[in-house]
Amino acid sequence: MYKITVEHSQELDESTFSTTLSNGLKVFICKKKNFSKKIGMFGTKYGSVINDFIDITTGERTKVPDGIAHFLEHKLFEKEGANALDLFSKMGVSSNAYTSFDQTVYFFETSEKFEESIAMLVKLIKEPYFTDENVQKEQGIIGQEISMYDDNPNFMVYFNALRAMYQKNPVRIDIAGTIESISHITKEMLYTCYNTFYSPQNMFFLVVGDVDVEKTIDIIEENIKKYGNNVPNTEITTFMEEEPKEITQKEIVQKMDIYLPQLCIGYKLDLADGKNIVKNECIVSILSDMYFSKLSYFFEKEYNEGKVNDSIDMQYEGSDSFSHVIISTTAVNIDEVEKDILEYINKIKNEPIDKELFEIIKRKKIGEMILASDSLNISYRRIIDSILNDVDVYTDMEMLKSITPEDLQEFLAQLNDENQVSSKIIAK
Amino acid sequence: MKIYKINNEKFKSIYMSYNFTIDINDTKYFSYYAVLASLMAKSSQKYATQKEIEKYLNSLYGASFDVNIEKLGDLYNLEFRIEFINKKFLPNNEELLEKILNFLEEMIYNPADWTIDNIDREKQFILERINERKDEKLKYGVQRAEELLCQGEPFGTFLYGEKEVVENIALEDIKTAYSELIKNCVTVIISGNLDEYSDIEEKIESKFASHILNDIKVQELQYNNNTGKEFKYEEVKEYQDTTQSVLSMGLRINDCNEQDFYALNLYNAILGVTPSSKLFQNVREKESLAYTVRSRYYRFKNILVIFAGINKENYEKAVAVIKEQLEDMKNGNITDVEFNSAKDSLLADLLEWNDSKVAMEKMKLSNLIAFKDENITIDMMREKIQNVTLEDVIKVANKVKLEKIFILGGEDNV
Repeated sequence: MYKITVEHSQELDESTFSTTLSNGLKVFICKKKNFSKKIGMFGTKYGSVINDFIDITTGERTKVPDGIAHFLEHKLFEKEGANALDLFSKMGVSSNAYTSFDQTVYFFETSEKFEESIAMLVKLIKEPYFTDENVQKEQGIIGQEISMYDDNPNFMVYFNALRAMYQKNPVRIDIAGTIESISHITKEMLYTCYNTFYSPQNMFFLVVGDVDVEKTIDIIEENIKKYGNNVPNTEITTFMEEEPKEITQKEIVQKMDIYLPQLCIGYKLDLADGKNIVKNECIVSILSDMYFSKLSYFFEKEYNEGKVNDSIDMQYEGSDSFSHVIISTTAVNIDEVEKDILEYINKIKNEPIDKELFEIIKRKKIGEMILASDSLNISYRRIIDSILNDVDVYTDMEMLKSITPEDLQEFLAQLNDENQVSSKIIAK
Repeated sequence: MKIYKINNEKFKSIYMSYNFTIDINDTKYFSYYAVLASLMAKSSQKYATQKEIEKYLNSLYGASFDVNIEKLGDLYNLEFRIEFINKKFLPNNEELLEKILNFLEEMIYNPADWTIDNIDREKQFILERINERKDEKLKYGVQRAEELLCQGEPFGTFLYGEKEVVENIALEDIKTAYSELIKNCVTVIISGNLDEYSDIEEKIESKFASHILNDIKVQELQYNNNTGKEFKYEEVKEYQDTTQSVLSMGLRINDCNEQDFYALNLYNAILGVTPSSKLFQNVREKESLAYTVRSRYYRFKNILVIFAGINKENYEKAVAVIKEQLEDMKNGNITDVEFNSAKDSLLADLLEWNDSKVAMEKMKLSNLIAFKDENITIDMMREKIQNVTLEDVIKVANKVKLEKIFILGGEDNV
């Protein structure tokens, strides 16, 4: 038997149950009363930034081509020539998978085929099937996916900002790699990555929906037990070149065939641990509303002067290998807006926090979390974040309530000229 | 004014949508209403600026408000929407409904005294929307196929209208547009947990009834002006300096009625919606020609659009493979697996709409307009889908005709 831990949020009137199976796999179940849809997700803490590690089967250090985690995602979501999306679709179930810097997640969404979907998802992930032929075929499809991103200004402006900030960290490389890098991927390399990073203690299974908790855990365990490759690999060793404190370059400007230029201003920060990542996210989401949203005098001024039309957003992103803030917007006169934002940041750093506004925004943020809990898809994102940050599920709600004006001021003090970069996409 | 309630106890918030549905015959009004909607979202008599609106909404625990515009076939829909938290989940069970209704009334029926400067600012905003429309390639490709099929019809007009029209908008035009707007038919749809809000209808009625100038129901409006357009095959190429090209194809469905809706939904799902669909399986999986390839069915206009992101040198091949799929649909070369998985996925989608307040609201309005029926439920729709046969699909497949091909891409393409 397993011990089930319950975490409860009073504000959201919601509970998440978790346990660890005997092979080390962590299982999370977020109970959503009366929803039809059930989401099941099987993920690993392995993403695009890991490309240098000890191969678990040989014990030797190995380097793999950029984009391999994403390539593996495509190939694993396939069974003997049939695409997994199709296998699920034949059951009337929708499914998908994604790869980010630090995770690869496979999921299904169903209302009526919950048990069968769990069985299918486990089967897919536990029975890899790679051949030279299917690896080659995938290079064509992923090639189109990479081209699609190359034409997407939102995507390019963001990745260029990362490249400007990080000199060594692989976040500077596109998650999908390049057409060149993926051409070197072989089926042997895929097995190496799979064997090293898809062992149970490095993975998690998450369910969101109106399900019976104990029964669901039983179903997951029964399915997992069907497969032989369930030995925990507790000795995962990865290597990453040390990232200097300094940025790579001050500015990256790229021309594309677009009308509306895009801007990302990035600030490279010191690494934070899991709890502080959640704290930073809360702080920056308050800062964003306070200083850049339609509530702010800055947005009002930029809008009235005709400089900015849409919105200005500020966001924090952190993991065990990176930590930064990105401020993004679009504007015809992008240089002018950039100058205004940078001057403004320097100004607000030295201003006292408007306490009344601060309280109003905190109240709104709590309301936003309640509104968001009506969506299963937002609910699962918060749980995956907490798994990766290794914190309790409702830490964000507790953290939000504890943030003080002093926390904001302390955070702002880190936004300095020497760690600031700009990325722009401008019209050809 | 008609008020519809969609109650579902699982939700923690209430979503309210106040729609003006408009029969546009002068396409200039696309631009007028776009500017007007933008102005109305940002000010009123009581709340002079966006900042004040935001501040007030924040104090209501982050209630969210905006003004949405869209085309529903040849009809134009201008929608004020607001979402707020159910009192059950607020400290001291604070009741927000009264404040929300007052706010909505203020935003709709007590507009600010607009100045030339206000108008000019929002014109600039809308012009940017028009100018940037090519920045999202796939979306633009799809829109061009829609426009080619529906030239001269309101649906064939870009949502924000034309640049020249926007540039020439005067203060008086906006004032006229406002007085026109509020003369239109109003449909209010509330979706969420309404268990403790049994009198919400009466409250809305007493708040807004006096403002209503038109008793027409949305069911009485004509959503498709296209009556027997002559077939005209066209291939249109447009240059853009990009890595990937966008291929879109416009198809017309001839002689169909609203009861074909279910068979056409299934036709579309088999052709190009799910990963088991013919387009996904053949264009993507078998031929590796595209990462994105899909088809979309437009219930109000009886058209379909197929779109794909492809490599420039594969243009001919992609068109040929897609045409083969259309032929297979016509000839009934549809396997049981293709048929059943498409059906199952439509049935599952319908069930899952129950989990979204907004999806339920949209479906309600859409069924009112297309079916002219206020009693249709998800279960009824599921039953209709369940009853569609292969013969029904083949029958509608033979009403579908490829009419336009649009390609957006680099120099070597065109």
